[in-house]
Amino acid sequence: MFDPKSRILIIDDMSTMRKIITKILKELAFTDFTEAVDGKDAWEKVQTANPPFDLIISDWNMPNMSGLEFLKLVRADVKFKKTPFLLVTAEAEQHQVADAIQSGVDQYVVKPFNKESLKAKLESAHKKCSTRKAV
Amino acid sequence: MSLDTEFIGPFLNATVQVLKVQANIESKTGKVYIKKPEDKSFGDVSGVISIDSEAFTGTVMVSFSEKTFLNIMSAMLGETYEVMNQDLLDGAGEITNMIFGQAKVVLNERGYGIKMAIPTVVSGKNHTLSTNGKGPIFVIPFESQAGPFVVHICV
Repeated sequence: MFDPKSRILIIDDMSTMRKIITKILKELAFTDFTEAVDGKDAWEKVQTANPPFDLIISDWNMPNMSGLEFLKLVRADVKFKKTPFLLVTAEAEQHQVADAIQSGVDQYVVKPFNKESLKAKLESAHKKCSTRKAV
Repeated sequence: MSLDTEFIGPFLNATVQVLKVQANIESKTGKVYIKKPEDKSFGDVSGVISIDSEAFTGTVMVSFSEKTFLNIMSAMLGETYEVMNQDLLDGAGEITNMIFGQAKVVLNERGYGIKMAIPTVVSGKNHTLSTNGKGPIFVIPFESQAGPFVVHICV
């Protein structure tokens, strides 16, 4: 599992969903959170974060810049291309999942979700990222 | 397009599922009816989302009384809210978004071709809502552990 001290960027245009994700992450012992309201805001925060974020959890469907567009920006930058990235979506259709995987997402979380399902996705993403680092 | 069980069913199932998973609240559907012009509007807070496909347009609205909404938000966020505030309002949009998203997956597997959409929130005592569907507004009342609420569907 990710280190509880991981610096986590949470992106959602809905403050309620940012609160829900933060609440569950706190229950999982994480402590360090930064919030962004859309992909554009998140990209600015990613570029200026020092030290960089250890984990990004982003909504998909947002105004200004979607989670998928933000993911593509992150993966295109050599500094962030290995940052663990989870996409959260209420609309997990097959073609969307395929788009996300092709763009380099580590896991996708389907809304609604609870503590157990988010924990499982985090563990899976951590395993995938650990394997990637080892290669 | 006419509304039928095949179209409404996924929204009913999604509503029950979203409240159960995200807020640990049990809910059940009441009798579906068509809204008449003289019927009073229900609710103090509504999440509204447009249904947009190549073949038709429509609207889904999830409307809560203030009390029901505060109970749901308290359960979702793990804190007790007794008074409405601006920060809480987008929760109605998020709930509607999750219901729409779940139903959309099922409906698109059946070929409806519904596109992604971003929800909005309308609030105010007994507010009225306009729809962009051509047909009647179907009203689906729910009873839940948090109190009653209503889903409206119009295409």
